Amino acid sequence: MRRSNIGWLFLAPATLILFVVGFIPFLYILYVGFFDWNSNAVDPTLRWAGLQNYRNLVFDATFLNSLARTLVFAFIVVVSELLLGYVLARALMADRLWGRQFFRTIHTLPIVVAPIAVGATWRLLCVPGFGIIPYYLKLWFGIDYNISTNAYHAFGTAIVMDLWHWTPFVTLSLMAGLTALPKEPLEQAQIDGGNKLQIFWYVIVPMLKPVLLTTVFIRLMDALRSVDEVWMLTKGGPAEATRFIGLHIWINVFPKTDYGYGAAMSLLTLYVTIVLSWLLFVAMTGRKGGAQ
Amino acid sequence: MRRSGLASFLLWIGLTLLTLLPVWWMLVVSMRPRVKLYSKSVLIDAVYWDNFLAVLNSATFLRYLWNSMLVATSNAALVCALGLLAAFGLSRYRISGGDNVFFWLITNRMAPPAVFLLPLFLLFTKWFVFGDAMLFDTKIGLILLYCVFNLPFAIWLLKGMLDGIPLELDEAARVDGATTAQVLSNVILPLARPGLAVTFILTWIFAWNEYLFAATLTSSANARTVTTALAEYVSVTGTNWGEMAAMAFLTTLPALIVLGFVQKHIVAGLTFGALKG
Amino acid sequence: MGGFQPEQSERDGFLPIRTNGFDRGFISVVILILVHLLWMRFLEGLLPLWVATVLCLALAVFIIRKG
Repeated sequence: MRRSNIGWLFLAPATLILFVVGFIPFLYILYVGFFDWNSNAVDPTLRWAGLQNYRNLVFDATFLNSLARTLVFAFIVVVSELLLGYVLARALMADRLWGRQFFRTIHTLPIVVAPIAVGATWRLLCVPGFGIIPYYLKLWFGIDYNISTNAYHAFGTAIVMDLWHWTPFVTLSLMAGLTALPKEPLEQAQIDGGNKLQIFWYVIVPMLKPVLLTTVFIRLMDALRSVDEVWMLTKGGPAEATRFIGLHIWINVFPKTDYGYGAAMSLLTLYVTIVLSWLLFVAMTGRKGGAQ
Repeated sequence: MRRSGLASFLLWIGLTLLTLLPVWWMLVVSMRPRVKLYSKSVLIDAVYWDNFLAVLNSATFLRYLWNSMLVATSNAALVCALGLLAAFGLSRYRISGGDNVFFWLITNRMAPPAVFLLPLFLLFTKWFVFGDAMLFDTKIGLILLYCVFNLPFAIWLLKGMLDGIPLELDEAARVDGATTAQVLSNVILPLARPGLAVTFILTWIFAWNEYLFAATLTSSANARTVTTALAEYVSVTGTNWGEMAAMAFLTTLPALIVLGFVQKHIVAGLTFGALKG
Repeated sequence: MGGFQPEQSERDGFLPIRTNGFDRGFISVVILILVHLLWMRFLEGLLPLWVATVLCLALAVFIIRKG
């Protein structure tokens, strides 16, 4: 290790770019959020509004519903992906498996497909009258499945799509975590006569905790910001059934050009995201008070 | 163990089919002529390329394709170059506050893009304006912007790679009188080449796949990318499913081609090294 | 996670986690924003907003000193 400020020279270009496209925008909406600014209004200049944007925001039912919907969506997908991913990871851990590498490659596929193409594909599968999913559900189970009229079906499809897209990631990362676990504590627990549930809860979960939390962290951040797929699948509809927060900001701010209010919406969303990720981060680094 | 091995094998096959179904269906639809579109069979009944030809003969789409190529390639190259420098600095020098800088660099990747659309739009149209030129609706704007999520990723990935190259090699070269630039180009660069290739491919794919920024910060064929082409196409013609599927397939193709090469690194990459894939 | 080690200047306070100066400042700001938003939604008809500001600043000082 060389101790010198030359190190900074190497960091400078990267830091500069991220400062300009990452940090300045943040400062800028912080500023704009305090103004009444609409470039299509009679007076298209910035007028000081104090906290008025935020005051309107906390009474904006559409926005708050959208935020709540996003949190519900994120909670459902993260929990089900974690459960599903864990079960699959355990089931698929057989030591010698022919074509293991091939299967893993196939399961990495959804992760790299462009989200916009994922949405397009699921639209092809689900669109009423054309897709195979409504057709076979009707044919085999007599279910009338229609994502463009039924809010629950649309929301459910958004969830299933997310499961398709990201469960493989959770499975693969949990497999990586499980493979790296030391064998001795498991064997010791079996010798001591622990049943499967006890072993899972008292031995595997604590050892797997860093991996679990990291995976939850990554998935939660992605779930909170998913826009492209849902936009392609349902356009946020029917009505507002699948209009998640990112989508809400996107389809509201730009046509209405109400920048001050848009800034307030963006910042509140960022606030929720940061608080959630901070809580997870604290859990992740395992900083418990009290005991040393 | 053998019986569970068989069960596990069957489960793999079932899951694989489920994973492949949407992509397969996309391919099936893209190879169907209009008259057969509403057939519900999941098999490809005949080889039919007209949908692909129609898409590839559209001048606009080709323009968008070219933009995507240019933006993704330049961004990946830029990110690899700057990422290598930053990783070199972080890995070879003791920088005061280096850990905090590294942490801040990484958090940029976690930022929700929808939140930054508005400020970036405003900055690109009103502030980052140089004479008649502005960053809005330019490829350069997109190339810079994609650094927000690609640069942290590249720095993290490359720092891991450089930490794996023994410091003794640097020192030996320096004893022989090499300058820092020579150490970087003659010692580090050749050894980091495989890592750089992986970084390049992954960042290229992320840039290629990006939609939200591209849709918001461009407005014409000047800089629009294939992902926006696909979205535009859906809103313009709602029912031309064959061509839409062909377009979606073409958008996915690059990722499909390189999938095998980078598969190992994707899980490790996405979890920032908390897990090895 | 290599670079994410907790810093040395941490201590135990009344907060349920061990915190350093940055954490306590951060927690104060988070609470300040939350209280203001809720205040605007439910209480502003009864009490003006600066009451919330004063309360939160007092709380922030307390957290940063004793947290």
